[in-house]
Amino acid sequence: MIRGALRFIGRVIQPSLMRRLVLAQMAVVAALWTLIVGLLFYDSYKDPELLRFSKIYESVAAIAINLADDPKRQYDTLHAFDLALMETASDGNAESDTSPMLQVWQRGKLIYRTTDAVPEIFNSAPDIIETVHAGGREWRARTLHSPQFDTRVMIAEPGIWRLVVNITYRGYYLLPLLVSLPFLVVPAWLTVRLALRPWRRVSRETSERGPADLTPLSYRPPHRELQPLVQSINTLLQRVRDSTTRERSLIADAAHELRTPLAAMRVNVEALKAQSIDSGQRELMGNLLRSNDRATRLVGQLLQLMRSDAVSDAALPVALSLDALVQDRLAMIEGVAHARGVELELACAGEVPVLGERESLVSMVDNLVDNAIKYSPRRSVVKVQVAREQGEAVLRVADQGPGIPPGLRERVFDRFFRSPGQTQSGSGLGLAIVKSVVDKHGGSVALETGAGGRGLLAVVRLPLAVDGQDQPMLEGRG
Amino acid sequence: MNLLLVEDDLELGNGVRIALANQGMDVVWVRRLDDAIRTLDSGAFDMVLLDLGLPDGDGIELLLRLRRERQILPVLVLSARDALNDRLRSLDDGADDYLVKPFALAELLSRVRALARRSYGFDDETIRMRGLVLHEPTRGVLVDGQQVELSRCEFDLLALLLRRTGRVVTRRVMEEQVLPGGPGIGSNSLEVHISNLRRKIGQGYIRTVRGIGYVVDAQSLARAGSPRA
Repeated sequence: MIRGALRFIGRVIQPSLMRRLVLAQMAVVAALWTLIVGLLFYDSYKDPELLRFSKIYESVAAIAINLADDPKRQYDTLHAFDLALMETASDGNAESDTSPMLQVWQRGKLIYRTTDAVPEIFNSAPDIIETVHAGGREWRARTLHSPQFDTRVMIAEPGIWRLVVNITYRGYYLLPLLVSLPFLVVPAWLTVRLALRPWRRVSRETSERGPADLTPLSYRPPHRELQPLVQSINTLLQRVRDSTTRERSLIADAAHELRTPLAAMRVNVEALKAQSIDSGQRELMGNLLRSNDRATRLVGQLLQLMRSDAVSDAALPVALSLDALVQDRLAMIEGVAHARGVELELACAGEVPVLGERESLVSMVDNLVDNAIKYSPRRSVVKVQVAREQGEAVLRVADQGPGIPPGLRERVFDRFFRSPGQTQSGSGLGLAIVKSVVDKHGGSVALETGAGGRGLLAVVRLPLAVDGQDQPMLEGRG
Repeated sequence: MNLLLVEDDLELGNGVRIALANQGMDVVWVRRLDDAIRTLDSGAFDMVLLDLGLPDGDGIELLLRLRRERQILPVLVLSARDALNDRLRSLDDGADDYLVKPFALAELLSRVRALARRSYGFDDETIRMRGLVLHEPTRGVLVDGQQVELSRCEFDLLALLLRRTGRVVTRRVMEEQVLPGGPGIGSNSLEVHISNLRRKIGQGYIRTVRGIGYVVDAQSLARAGSPRA
């Protein structure tokens, strides 16, 4: 419940292009509306409607002239007319801030004004609309002059700001906006959504592809805005693809360059050894061959390490059964163990399918088991177990050798680290390879003390492949 | 046996040439792809040992050319590329075997001989092994000169193990290739067959590698100093 609410708030707070577009549209509508209202205000300020009707002036002048001989009736008639005027142009209340002012002079004397609260308003010249100040307020006023009885009629409207404040207060400005905006939001949202469809298609395609898929995007949008985006994504993919290819060919070249001289050395020494009958010479040549073996092993491990570093973006993981792979590798390695007087033993119960890159897993198993054999005393057993435990594939390799002190168990995974006091020859790369492969496969590796407090137990945990994904695998070649 | 060795590395090529010549084989050694093509056109060879990375092209080209011309000349690829893909590609392209550099001379010699046997039907029918003689066409087995009667399954198991002497044959391979009905989970019929086989030919030949498979060692168990008899 609370989590759901938090997620909702998160969604609301998170910036959204969609919302930006809709808000921008709304802002433009509001701005346009304000502009139109402003123009209307300006227009009615500059040229107030009431002041432009000369017929009103003429009617007022006619009343004043025709009833000039009866001031009482003249005043009453003017007042009645003024009331009519106020009701049309304002709220009919003479004391109101927004009501227009009517003032009439005859023979130089003021004969009528709307209210006594406002002093006489004089225009600088007849028949123009101008701003004048009177009674501490600003007015737009126009005066017409009739030569008969020297009659002057002046109508004034209140200044612009009072008008603005008044009209805003009455809701003429905000109300239409508030009513119409919701009706505008939904169509705006729908149209934006519709227009952004190609964009969503691009983002869907990029998010749906797997990590190893470096092919260009299949969707080529014709839109001017999306093309550069898709092009730069494709260029980036191309660059990654190229660098992966380069890296792989570098590994292949290095393999060739390093291995060929090692092979030449080996073949020549072996041919020489076959010809020699001097036992001293044969022993020296045997030393040469053993050094050659070590150099070969080191080169092999370096290449494994480079390959495992390069693997994640190069090879598609395939479904394979870890139990079969381990059995194959143990069968291959058994010769070495047998020659050292070490027995290999495998325990596994049923299929253990994992997703992985075969060669990396092979080098992982080889290095773990090689290490175990190397440090095992004669007539001891290296026990290997493959099992599925709590949704994980687990590989255990246990030897009866000297083990590794707990303090060093993390460091032995470092490249070229060899524990002090080590008498066995080795490169210090074996466990680094194991670690690298395990990391690439999203698993973990730990070193523990073997059963009965002696020896080393290496435990590798890898994610189990979903059942049904594992297919019968190819028999690995030797 | 006439061999064409295509290898650009001076020391390696020379070493292999001398080593093979010491074994009584006739070796012609060339270092370039076009030399190899010309030499192949001019002489009769029994086998080609082919390096892949040559100065004037990829050895695969020669392989493809041979296979295009429907030549069944056996080709053993010698390459420093040990990635599974490279090996599979060469084999798919028609190589008969693939050896990764650096290799032991003994392995090269045994692969050359095995390839010659496979390709030309040289003596591949009788396997002799520490007093065991197995003759495939007649399915006969002699132990220390005495004829032994084996069931079909037992004979196939023994032949499989003897063909791979010194290498462990995994339980899975045995079950798939020999047992009727293939591998059965939790079934111990393989153990039963092996134990019958041991009873008939003697205990000293087949060694169990627990959980992994079985092996016939080239040397007897006692001499190898195995922890278990």
